[in-house]
Amino acid sequence: MARMKFLCDADRCIECNACVTACKNEHEVPWGINRRRVITLNDGKPGERSVSMACMHCTDAPCAAVCPVNCFYTTADAVVLHSKDLCIGCGYCFYACPFGAPQYPRVGNFGSRGKMDKCTYCSGGPEVDLSVAEYEKYGSNRLAEGKLPLCAEMCSTKSLLAGDGEMIAQIYKERVIKRGYGSGAWGWKTAYRETIAI
Amino acid sequence: MLTKRRSGVAGRGSHQALAAGLTAHTLDRRGFLRKSGLAAGGLAALGTVRLGAVRPAQAAGSSADPAQAVIRKNICTHCSVGCTVTAEVVNGVWVGQEPSWASPINRGAHCAKGAAIRELVHSDRRLRYPMKIVNGEWQRVSWEQAITEITDKLQAIRNKNGADSVYWLGSAKFTNEASYLFRKFGAFWGTNNVDHQARICHSTTVAGVANTWGYGAQTNSYNDIRNAKTMIILGGNPAEAHPVSMQHVLSGKEINRANMIVIDPRFTRTAAHANEYVRIRSGTDIPVIWGILWHVFQNGWEDKAFIAQRVYAMDDVRKEVAKWTPDEVERVSGVPGEQLKRVAELFAKEKPSTLIWCMGATQHTVGTANVRALCILCLATGNVGKPGTGTNIFRGHTNVQGATDLGLDVTTLPLYYGLVEGGWKHWARVWDVEYDWLQSRFDEVPASAGRKARTRKENMETPGLTSTRWFDAVSLPADQVDQRTPLKAMMVFGHGGNTVTRMPEAVKGMAELELLVVADPHPTTFAAMDARKDNTYLLPICTSLEMDGSRTASNRSIQWGEQVVKPAFESKTDYEVIYRMAQKLGFAETLFKGIKVVDNVPDAEDLLREINRGGWSTGYCGQSPERLKAHMKNQHKFDLVTLRAPKDDPEVGGDYYGLPWPCWGKPELKHPGTHILYNTSLHVKEGGGTFRARFGTERNGATLLAEDSFSLGSDLTDGYPEFTFGVFRKLGWDKDLTADELATIQRIGGNNPDAVSWATDLSGGIQRVCLDHGVIPFGNGKARANAWNLPDPVPVHREPVYSPRPDLVAKYPTRLDERQFRMPNVGFSVQKAAVDRGIAKQFPIILSSGRLVEYEGGGEETRSNPWLAELQQDMFVEVNTADAAERGIKDGQFVWVYGPENTAKAKVKALVTDRVAKGVAWMPFHFSGWYQGKDMRDFYPKGADPVVLGESVNTVTTYGFDPVTGMQETKVTLCQISAA
Amino acid sequence: MRQDDKTRTDDETGMGRRQFFRALGGGTAAAAAAVASVPLGTTEAQAYDPGNAETRSRYRETDHVKAFYRTNGYETLKK
Repeated sequence: MARMKFLCDADRCIECNACVTACKNEHEVPWGINRRRVITLNDGKPGERSVSMACMHCTDAPCAAVCPVNCFYTTADAVVLHSKDLCIGCGYCFYACPFGAPQYPRVGNFGSRGKMDKCTYCSGGPEVDLSVAEYEKYGSNRLAEGKLPLCAEMCSTKSLLAGDGEMIAQIYKERVIKRGYGSGAWGWKTAYRETIAI
Repeated sequence: MLTKRRSGVAGRGSHQALAAGLTAHTLDRRGFLRKSGLAAGGLAALGTVRLGAVRPAQAAGSSADPAQAVIRKNICTHCSVGCTVTAEVVNGVWVGQEPSWASPINRGAHCAKGAAIRELVHSDRRLRYPMKIVNGEWQRVSWEQAITEITDKLQAIRNKNGADSVYWLGSAKFTNEASYLFRKFGAFWGTNNVDHQARICHSTTVAGVANTWGYGAQTNSYNDIRNAKTMIILGGNPAEAHPVSMQHVLSGKEINRANMIVIDPRFTRTAAHANEYVRIRSGTDIPVIWGILWHVFQNGWEDKAFIAQRVYAMDDVRKEVAKWTPDEVERVSGVPGEQLKRVAELFAKEKPSTLIWCMGATQHTVGTANVRALCILCLATGNVGKPGTGTNIFRGHTNVQGATDLGLDVTTLPLYYGLVEGGWKHWARVWDVEYDWLQSRFDEVPASAGRKARTRKENMETPGLTSTRWFDAVSLPADQVDQRTPLKAMMVFGHGGNTVTRMPEAVKGMAELELLVVADPHPTTFAAMDARKDNTYLLPICTSLEMDGSRTASNRSIQWGEQVVKPAFESKTDYEVIYRMAQKLGFAETLFKGIKVVDNVPDAEDLLREINRGGWSTGYCGQSPERLKAHMKNQHKFDLVTLRAPKDDPEVGGDYYGLPWPCWGKPELKHPGTHILYNTSLHVKEGGGTFRARFGTERNGATLLAEDSFSLGSDLTDGYPEFTFGVFRKLGWDKDLTADELATIQRIGGNNPDAVSWATDLSGGIQRVCLDHGVIPFGNGKARANAWNLPDPVPVHREPVYSPRPDLVAKYPTRLDERQFRMPNVGFSVQKAAVDRGIAKQFPIILSSGRLVEYEGGGEETRSNPWLAELQQDMFVEVNTADAAERGIKDGQFVWVYGPENTAKAKVKALVTDRVAKGVAWMPFHFSGWYQGKDMRDFYPKGADPVVLGESVNTVTTYGFDPVTGMQETKVTLCQISAA
Repeated sequence: MRQDDKTRTDDETGMGRRQFFRALGGGTAAAAAAVASVPLGTTEAQAYDPGNAETRSRYRETDHVKAFYRTNGYETLKK
């Protein structure tokens, strides 16, 4: 079974933010909610590198481990989703997440932040696939349409990879070999606890 | 950059309503858009609406009848890369964007702006209906009233002050057809005061490159950069300005393990990906380029055979270069000699090498000279006219190349036909109007201030005012403005008001105008400066995505974009507005002779066909609408690197993608277009070429024609001049012309058919026969290292007008005061005064400006898009850490930036960073809506204000103009910064 | 320099984009009716049941997905 993954090739990422606005466009994500962001390290200095971050759909996801209402579930595609009907907006998942993925519509104390929102890997939520209810709560379901997350599909430099982990590894391996130097991948090991054999 | 990390928090408090949308039980816009599409498909009644239905039908498992989403393709308007935008439209509503896998240019990719472009069309901050300002208040008016009042006023101003008193500012976001129509309209109105954004981005490129080897355009393509083994990016930051181009740049870098060298005063996001970064002092490009060439010549790394065969007067350059020893280069530019030696060796030896530049090279008082020096570097090392080489000039807007080609320029007619009798007569023939009638439309200019009077004919052949000086032409004493009267009216189509330097003087000029009309999807800065109380109109023009027509990308590929949705609100297309104005002004019938007009909207395809009929000089003759549409339909067939379709394809066989100009002869000839200019290794029928023999055949006893160099399969195996009927007769090739072609040539030539040339022969016969003989219609000449017709025939270094190094001004002064483009250019006096008054001491920091990825140009459009605005909420200035420490400035706090003219100041946030060197500050140029500390939001028409406002950098920028094109100096001025 | 709340409320008060598109895009009475009756139960919470239907695999290697993989590789090198 194919396992869906994200990989940001930091040798290619130029912080153009196409991934961020593609996400806004696809799901009509409102102002203040950022399912995806681009982080730049060593900004303005030699060694500056950018990396696009969203929910990494972890194996054994920490958000799910701490959720008091068990609203998270992992699909057969290895995508971590959650139910907004169950979510109580406590914010535990935000503290547990190593990537800062969970977002809330309001600033506030325990329980007053509103339903958590995060990257769905463009695969909706528990509602019926491609239904209005699903779209309103979670955004579109591209996976069900036979597509991949739009952030990766629209990446300006083909830095952000998405899809079957095997395919991504193959594409990335080819790049590393071509370049003749090591990995520029961020977050992979943290998220998936695997090593890439390259 | 500055605050976006915190923006999520910053934005939340004030956008509760919006933020709640994701979970709220109200119908928000997304819901509406999708559902309105669905409902019309009759699906609402089913109750179990399946949203997949608005998507293409491959979504499985839906039992409902899928409402078919229509896919429409247009071109992203935000830069010149030419990304295809794939829109899903349901019932006239643009509901989604999909990746454009088939496009060989973007291959699915977009930048932040392209990925957010749907919002541009659906934006609720667009101007919805025509407005006018009455006693300082915006009022809604009807189109009929607006057009009537505007044209009545135009006519009255014309009657009193002459045709030249109205300025027609067009747009690089026009389609080719609208650009052409706008220039033609200007000709019918009777003025050469027709300009657009190319003036302020790459006018110096066009002038410099065309004066070197023939045409003012990118020689190769974005895709071809994949072939380069060495690339220098000088004065360009494609990672922010042309992000999708970086797909090709970085892939090429990886595939070839290519050397990527960035030369820039600022450590840009592009520099972060380079192998070598060369930090220079702003405005010292020529010393740096000559410094590189010094090593090339010193070590014999030049391409001697190439120079001998294809370059004129390289020895004149050697003499100038010899002065730029490593020590002098370091003294002037700050770059160590050893580093430039490394760069020189890579560029000259690890070939093919390409040179990429943008506005860091062009927006200077020495812009044209910079460009010339860059071309010469390519010539000296033999890096032109082959795959992986060339001057890859990245232009700005979607169609800035096309708008330039089609004559939105004060010095040319469409397709670079000069403002000379021959040029005017050529277009008079194409337009089927009397040359004498056109002439009668122009002003007679009386003698003034010691200048001779001009007849109508002379005035028709005199270049107009540049857009960089429009307000000077309003405000200066009348005798200093060399036309019948100074400017009285501005007609601004698709052009920001904050993109020209010296804003305080622009505001003054704005106030003095008798009429200001802004035709744009947004009100623009012009509307928000509180400069006017009356006689000001806003016309809502639709976005380019709501228009049919072709667009020319930077690489000269022409792409047909189809109207995605009908113009929203009450907005109209440029075509329609021009048509309605021409109707009221009484020349619609002649202006649109032979052009189909339906419901007041002229047909874009017919306009393109007219361009084809007259576009011989630049090879815009073969790109018929049918061929361009076939290319869009067959995008997936074109190769990623060669841009060529397989020869056996029935529809686009052998063509290069977008039929990049020149595409010779009539469309039926099926010329494939020219992917790489001046490429002698291909037959002309396969897109081969030579340098253009544009400057004569001989000078001072030296030949200007190529020697022992010619394109593959040429019947003539040496240099040759451009082709005329006279040359044809000498060669005996006139016999190859058909009877019809001969008749046309005789008709055009009258008494002197020998003078009819490849560029004026409307039959296309001369071009057709040239192709059969394997020769290039424009001749086979040498590129010029010495361009004797330019102010500095061999580029020389000149310090900026506001130089941070007054000690160098005596040795490297700017050019003497002179009159150019009907105006005085007093740069020398300003420079001298600045030195005498010690300006560099009072204003010790170099101020430069540039681009952010989220915004474009003046930024009104992109700052009105919340998906983009959220990412850049504040105008800022980058200040070096040392400069900040000296001034007690903390990161993120407000500071005042003071400019040396008009006691100008701007209040912005500080971004403390070593991205800029000590003594250098940098500001983005996309902001407006704050003016010298004041928030101008209330002056926008209600509801049409951009989401984000901020100070314009041009409030504090200063005097300085290139002598060849009137380009403004945006990259070097001086400033002082203090905590606010 | 971001706009404040005051200006943002134009959305609710002025002729909003929604009303506009209703007039423009919907056009038909059916469309308007559909919009008006939208809370047709679709937004009401359904019971969350993390059963097989929700967790089943949706990924398929369609032509669209293949195009993504192709354009991410060095495609011309393979020719």
